Amino acid sequence: MIAADVTVINKLGLHARAATKLVNCASVFNAEVTLKRGAREINAKSIMGVLTLAASIGTELTVTTDGPDEEDALGAILELINDRFGEGE
Amino acid sequence: MTLALTGHGVARGIAIGHCHIVVSNELEIGEHRIAPDEVEKEIQRYRDAVQAAREQLTELADRMDENVAVPASEILQTHILMLDDSTIRQNTEQHIRDELCNAEWALQIQLEAVLFEFINMDDAYIRTRGEDIAQVVRLVQRKLTAQDDGRHFENIPDRLADTLVIATELTPAELAILHERGVGGIVTEHGGPHSHAAILAASLGIPAVLGVRRAQTLLREREVLIVDGGKGLVYASPDSKIRKHYHEVQAETRRFREALETIRELPTVSLDGETVVLMANAEREAEFNQAVQTGAGGVGLYRTEFLYLHGSPPDEEAQLAEYRSAVKILDGRPLTIRTLDLGADKLPQSLDFSEPMRNANPALGLRAIRLCLRDSDRFKVQLRAILRASADGPVRCLVPMITTIEEIAKVRSLMDEAKSELKRKNLPFDPDMQVGAMIEVPAAALALGELGRYLDFISVGTNDLLQYTLAADRVDEQVAHLYDMQHPGVIRLLQHIFREAAVQKLPVSVCGEVAGDRRYTRLLLAMGLRDFSMNPGRLLEVKQVILNTDIPRATAALTHWLNNPINQKSTLVETLDASQS
Repeated sequence: MIAADVTVINKLGLHARAATKLVNCASVFNAEVTLKRGAREINAKSIMGVLTLAASIGTELTVTTDGPDEEDALGAILELINDRFGEGE
Repeated sequence: MTLALTGHGVARGIAIGHCHIVVSNELEIGEHRIAPDEVEKEIQRYRDAVQAAREQLTELADRMDENVAVPASEILQTHILMLDDSTIRQNTEQHIRDELCNAEWALQIQLEAVLFEFINMDDAYIRTRGEDIAQVVRLVQRKLTAQDDGRHFENIPDRLADTLVIATELTPAELAILHERGVGGIVTEHGGPHSHAAILAASLGIPAVLGVRRAQTLLREREVLIVDGGKGLVYASPDSKIRKHYHEVQAETRRFREALETIRELPTVSLDGETVVLMANAEREAEFNQAVQTGAGGVGLYRTEFLYLHGSPPDEEAQLAEYRSAVKILDGRPLTIRTLDLGADKLPQSLDFSEPMRNANPALGLRAIRLCLRDSDRFKVQLRAILRASADGPVRCLVPMITTIEEIAKVRSLMDEAKSELKRKNLPFDPDMQVGAMIEVPAAALALGELGRYLDFISVGTNDLLQYTLAADRVDEQVAHLYDMQHPGVIRLLQHIFREAAVQKLPVSVCGEVAGDRRYTRLLLAMGLRDFSMNPGRLLEVKQVILNTDIPRATAALTHWLNNPINQKSTLVETLDASQS
């Protein structure tokens, strides 16, 4: 199991489009992917879980991955968040 | 007599037409017991209903994707994920097993539990997503009860051009169908500015007023309606004065759009006879098609990040297949492929959780070419794919965030290695493929005299260049006002780039958002730019400005403005516009 902290930097935060990309990205991997905001922890493969995190710009999240492809999964999720979900330059 | 109703004006535009009320039958969900030996059959019935709903949404999403209605397709993807969400599925199936009840009812109980969670969210946007989940659940319930969703839509005419649809509520899927049939405008009783119906209507350009209470009761079938989507107004049976006003507004908008259509085939030449090149920024297949249709000279910026955003990075063949399909659509028009422009050092092997790493400023950190040069083997995979695509048509390679000569030298030597590797395998490529740099770092812009000698062309990424020059992040609302294209420092820097490029005979284009913003077209022309690359949807608007610009006049006005920094009554762009009359 590995984990990393990341800050949401895209303007709209985890709104529907970003959440959809995140769930699609997490679902590619076999590893379990969870996102934690404060005390609240959710399954990153669940769109409802990701939406109810209500993570806006500046929110700090902990991404945890657990499984055979946990490294690739963690890398992909962090890349997506740090790339502002591909929303702009 | 005119009846005026108000609601949320969520999608600008005026629609005038006849009222059509879409009555949706209330879905009644009852509870009944099932026998223990019927449980598996009931669960299967539930799964079949989910599958039928998924097929319906997927088919619609694919159709939207082809029709360039990308936002519609994306919202439908979100709905498909909600449909497949394990939380609701597992709990529903568990509920059927534990309570021995019918699937519709088990689903209803789960929906209410989920909605309770959403209703208590502080954020209005997130709270509204509960509506999406309710819409998705109702779609499955309709499949289960055989009260199929969309049946009431089958009765409405195929062509809705003069029709304004009045509904209690619209799902994104329903709105997408109405859009396909050319609906004039929409009014709903429920839904607010954050609803997906609102977001979708705005992006599809359908005038829409949502949240008009009792609209279905107050409006009469076939009566004349005016929907003002900007102001949030609905007029029923309007008097002649109101009608006249709105017909004028509508005619003006139509004239503007028609004027754009008439210039589609014209060459892009300014009033003083200068030819200007207009290229498109494209990423998806639909955008490539749109670029060709709007008469773009080619694609000036093809972003490749999307290749990397779904799991592990794609191999050479997979990348090549994407690039080749782009070359094919462009059919001989030039294509500029930008190498990976991802931010921050978050690749798993380079992760160390040290404090300085976590506190690093991603915009100033390890990103784009800096990141690619960290792993030359992986970078060469992309270079080889781009080189191989160059065998099929005119392809150039654009490298983002170049800061130093050493970086360019390194890219050049990796490119040579990639070429030798392809040669050994007898794979074809264009040996003279051009390599250019994105100019986004102010230091690189100022040192263009030195850097330019090692480049075949440059493309100015104004979004980042402005952010770095003004030290202001445009998405940070606290400082967004400082992000100003008209700042004299920005003007001087851009002028320097264009002049230096002219001295070195270095082809230069601008691919940032300002290139597609018609407010800045004259300013860019006055500074010397002759090659724009933009969202293809903006191309005709920009072209229209160019056709109506005398560049020497605009240049003179710019010089005068820069020499008289105080006592100016109008902004720079206003001054340039005034110089034309």
